[in-house]
Amino acid sequence: MIEIIDIHKHYGHVKANNGISMTIKDGSIHAILGENGAGKSTLMKILSGYIHQNSGLIKINDQIVDFSSTSVAATFGIGMLYQDPMDFPQLSVIDNFMIGQAKGIFIKKRTFLNRFYHLSQSLGFSLEPDCLVKTLTVGERQQLEILRLLSLGTQVLILDEPTTGISDLQKDTLFSALTRLTRDGKSIVLVSHKLEDVETLCDTITVLRQGRVSGHMVKPFDTNKLLDLMFETRSSPPGRLVTSQGPVFFSLNQVSAKGGRVGLKNLNLKIHQHDVIGLAGLEGSGQSVFLKVSSGLLPVQSGTICLDNKNIVGKSHVYFQNSGITYLPSSRLEEGLVPGLSITQHVSLSARPKPLIVNHKKALISSRDAIDTFHIKARPDSYVETLSGGNQQRLLLSLLPLKPRLLLLENPTRGLDLSSAYFVWNHLQAFCKTDHTSILFTSSEIDEIMMVSNRILVFYDGKVVLDKKTAETTIHEIGAAIAGKSVHL
Amino acid sequence: MKRRMESYGKMVQLLFMNPVFFIGISLLLVFIMTSMVLILTGAPPFSVYKQIFLGSLSTGSKFGHVIKAWIPLTLCAIGLLYTFRINLWNIGVEGQMIIGAVFCTFIIRLFPNSPYPIMILFLAFFSSMMGGALWALLAGFLKTKGGVNEIFAGLGLNFVAQGLILWLIFGPWKRPGVASMSGTEIIPKGLWLSLIERTAIPPAGLILTFLALFVTYLLLKYTKIGLGLKAIGLNPKASLLFGLKPSLYMLLAMVFGGGLAGFAGCIQVTGVYHRLIPSISSNYGYLALLVVMLSNYDIRLVPIVSFFFSCLNVGSIQLPMVLHIDSSLSGVIQGSLVLTFLALHALHRRLSTPKEIQPS
Amino acid sequence: MATKPFVKIFFVITLFFLFISGSPALSAQPDQTFTFGLLLVGPMNDHGWSQAHFEAGKYVEEHLKSSKMLYIDKVNPADRPGITIPQLADDMIEKGARLIIANSDDMSDGIIEAATMHPDIYFIHVSGDGALTGKAPKNLSNVMGRMEYGKMMAGFAAAMTTKTGKIAYLGPLINDETRRLTVSCYLGARYAWEHVLKRKPSELQFEVSWIGFWFNIPGVTSDPTQVTGSFFNSGYDVVISGIDTSEASIVANQKRMAKKDVYAIPYDYKNACDGASAVCLGVPYYNWGPSYVDLISQTMKGNLKQQWLWLSPNWQDINNPDTSHVGFIKGPALSDIASKALDLFISDMGTGKIQLFKGPLNYQDGSVFLAPDEVANDKKIWYMEQLLSGMKGQSRVQ
Repeated sequence: MIEIIDIHKHYGHVKANNGISMTIKDGSIHAILGENGAGKSTLMKILSGYIHQNSGLIKINDQIVDFSSTSVAATFGIGMLYQDPMDFPQLSVIDNFMIGQAKGIFIKKRTFLNRFYHLSQSLGFSLEPDCLVKTLTVGERQQLEILRLLSLGTQVLILDEPTTGISDLQKDTLFSALTRLTRDGKSIVLVSHKLEDVETLCDTITVLRQGRVSGHMVKPFDTNKLLDLMFETRSSPPGRLVTSQGPVFFSLNQVSAKGGRVGLKNLNLKIHQHDVIGLAGLEGSGQSVFLKVSSGLLPVQSGTICLDNKNIVGKSHVYFQNSGITYLPSSRLEEGLVPGLSITQHVSLSARPKPLIVNHKKALISSRDAIDTFHIKARPDSYVETLSGGNQQRLLLSLLPLKPRLLLLENPTRGLDLSSAYFVWNHLQAFCKTDHTSILFTSSEIDEIMMVSNRILVFYDGKVVLDKKTAETTIHEIGAAIAGKSVHL
Repeated sequence: MKRRMESYGKMVQLLFMNPVFFIGISLLLVFIMTSMVLILTGAPPFSVYKQIFLGSLSTGSKFGHVIKAWIPLTLCAIGLLYTFRINLWNIGVEGQMIIGAVFCTFIIRLFPNSPYPIMILFLAFFSSMMGGALWALLAGFLKTKGGVNEIFAGLGLNFVAQGLILWLIFGPWKRPGVASMSGTEIIPKGLWLSLIERTAIPPAGLILTFLALFVTYLLLKYTKIGLGLKAIGLNPKASLLFGLKPSLYMLLAMVFGGGLAGFAGCIQVTGVYHRLIPSISSNYGYLALLVVMLSNYDIRLVPIVSFFFSCLNVGSIQLPMVLHIDSSLSGVIQGSLVLTFLALHALHRRLSTPKEIQPS
Repeated sequence: MATKPFVKIFFVITLFFLFISGSPALSAQPDQTFTFGLLLVGPMNDHGWSQAHFEAGKYVEEHLKSSKMLYIDKVNPADRPGITIPQLADDMIEKGARLIIANSDDMSDGIIEAATMHPDIYFIHVSGDGALTGKAPKNLSNVMGRMEYGKMMAGFAAAMTTKTGKIAYLGPLINDETRRLTVSCYLGARYAWEHVLKRKPSELQFEVSWIGFWFNIPGVTSDPTQVTGSFFNSGYDVVISGIDTSEASIVANQKRMAKKDVYAIPYDYKNACDGASAVCLGVPYYNWGPSYVDLISQTMKGNLKQQWLWLSPNWQDINNPDTSHVGFIKGPALSDIASKALDLFISDMGTGKIQLFKGPLNYQDGSVFLAPDEVANDKKIWYMEQLLSGMKGQSRVQ
């Protein structure tokens, strides 16, 4: 049993954890629920020894413990699965598994192989030990990390947003594995902002809001009450956009390209003004290659891309941008923003056309505007890497050009809580209404696609296997297409 | 007990955040470390420090020689600020300096008896910058088009430049009837940079160096070039989405870096040696890399750190002259200094930036 | 606000230096000592050119009691990057030096620059000709020993010893001085070959290889160790060194350990045969002490005039440390017959009976150096334009 008593942690004047107390029972799945920036991640990092609290106590089985580092926490059986897996992409699965536990000079690989097979079988995972980790999906890397932590003797497994970026199938596998682990007496702490996941899986929920505990709840859960605990004010969900379809302005004809695992194969597509198109499919089925090709970031092997009936294949990304085609990547900090630069500097960078002399004063005013309009919780001189995921996405939105013609968005609401996601969509749909903008976006959540888009494309193996108006299809049909059980086009 | 330890830790952290205290502690540690190394090599540390200080700053003429070394060293370091900003390791700065010196000498050899020496000098300055920039561009193209790491490209080009200068001095540009590695014929006196009286300071070089410092400060801080270089250096992928062209900016940074290094080479020819010699670069290129790193890539610190190294370079000649110790000991001092500073930098960074994401 | 820490840092650094240096003001002692400075191009213990000068400096301190030497060695841009001759001269003058000696041809431009900047200080450039050509200001004099004689003796000893008839010369860089020294060697060797051994001059092979500088600078010059080795490997059995350092005798000694019948003649430094006695035929050397004492005592009296000195050996006793400017010390490996022949050769040169710079002599390209019976004057020898016909090797750079 773990007791957390009156934990405080602040960064400068920001109180991330402001007196948090809770109890985690053995053999239970305990969820920490809360909006982005509610203090969940901070609390978990303290619990796993990654950072140290300013004050407060942690007791394990009535004994006070002090985690000066993650390795100390590990000796008490606490292991954390981070949102971005901490592994070595260049090494094989089994090598990653052995790292940190193999002692001595001669590594008995066979012993580890046996342990690996045994563990993964008992949890229903199917990983190839000789695969290179870089070829795995996020879900598979997560499985590997869980195996490794368990093998190290972890009794309390902390998972930070584990269902982000993995397929539904992988989610099911994960959930049944976690349930199994509790039967062995292990505790699971799940950090999430996804109500649905939490409600199906967990025994106990602790809701955090603005660094404090706003409530506890045990099974069965009352969704409305949970939502009230999470948000002070609930924003309304966006609906499907209803506008008349405009003329075709952007098209791909017989486009093939390399990239990702499967590339893109002979794609034909016409995009109308005001279209909001959701791109579904297992991760790496060609959606992100498609977005990159359409934004001029990846070269095509064959075929043409036409904007206003003019072939723009071979033009630079800057040309695409200047023509009103904007791309936002899903990994914001890796590809979308520049860590080390402040919000104001990002505003300066996105100015078009860029004047030779950067006008700091003007950029400061615009960044204040952006912070106000987009409810970014930061100051103009905050470095982007210090922002939470939701705030990073809001910042990226604020940097979009005034009147984009085509927005290509990779997982625009990934990692965002409901109210942030709603905010994003309300803002994006405004573009379509007023500026004839069309949006293409990928999402791993079919619900989201069904909710906001009027057309859906399902990718499988580098091809579009389903292209329908969302009003004319069903979840069942989409699910089948995603799994490759193709239907008639 | 635990509380107490914690509050101590916090106090230490707070103290380290205070820049003046940090510098003080750093100097003390550097001082202790270097003294220990000196004692190990059998040299009396206090006399060594004293001689280096006296040998560099005790008289006007010595100060002049320090400035004479400071000018090319600082020019190279300023050039490196551009390339470091975009995360390029321009090791080739040494070769760029050599090529600058070669271009400079070439112009001077073309017009040895011009009635307008000032014009020839300007032409020599300009072409040395072009030469250095061209040499840097070669490494830049190898990086952006060929995918060759700029460190290897730079090192390779350094060797080529060294070979070229040896060939020129031993071959086409040799002194009449003489084949010696000691250098080319001395350049006409009219083309020597004039010096401040009784010192080795060329005012033209000094003014241009300050100008380069000032312009670079403005350029890096207030223009889209500076912002673009920084953004690409920190995240090339994202910078693409902001409409920046990384390869273009990389070439631009190389041009600036190479141009300034080339100019430093020309100062060495017209202001210091008055001829082309094989070691015309005086290793200032490599030293400049250290200067920039120790300055933490901060242009405001570059002239100060560069001045410090110039003092060390000029002052250490006292070691063989007065203490009869080999002056390569100043290399040992430099080395232990750099190591201690880098260790402290790392410590400072660890203490000052908590890596966690800051919640609102 | 932002600049404040930097100002403080600068302040702290300055304080730090003030602290460790005690009093920063330099106190010059106004006493009776006469300080002179010596700039050595190579290491002071190089068993060659620079050591000879360093010991001459010690000789001065011994013979002129009120004199004091300041010196610095390895004065060349490869060893001390960024350091210039005027800079060192400035420093020595600040330390009280009133006369400065620069010991390398390489320092010619720098020392003229320094002399121009300090007209009240005397400068002596060893081996240069600035005072002869008028390039130098009035306070700069040149001094040089007539090493041509020493080199003739070296060539003579080499020819008396060689069994293969192949003599090699390990040359430094190519200039007037090195050409005339090499030529002298050849003339001495040819005299022994033709007039003592009575063999045909065409059977004597004499080859020069230039390394590019006075001593090895890795990566810049050819490696003298390798050059010497390849000489021995291609049938040359005597290597005469023309460079400042002792690679030739070291390599010869190694070959001798491997039972090869080879010899070497080092250069420049009296005791250069030490440690290589099995292969050393002797060493021609400069003895700078007497000329230094002479020049410095003139300066102390305040009546040093600009001059260009080319000093001869004392033919009565060429190895007299107080009177002879050039000498030759026979090595242990020199045979008795050769030794006796060499003594006769030396005394005949002293009396003028033998005059080797006498026509007919042709340059390497066939043009006339000296017409029949023409005896060369100093200038013609000093400015030797080419090697002589009969010698192998470069006269100038292609």
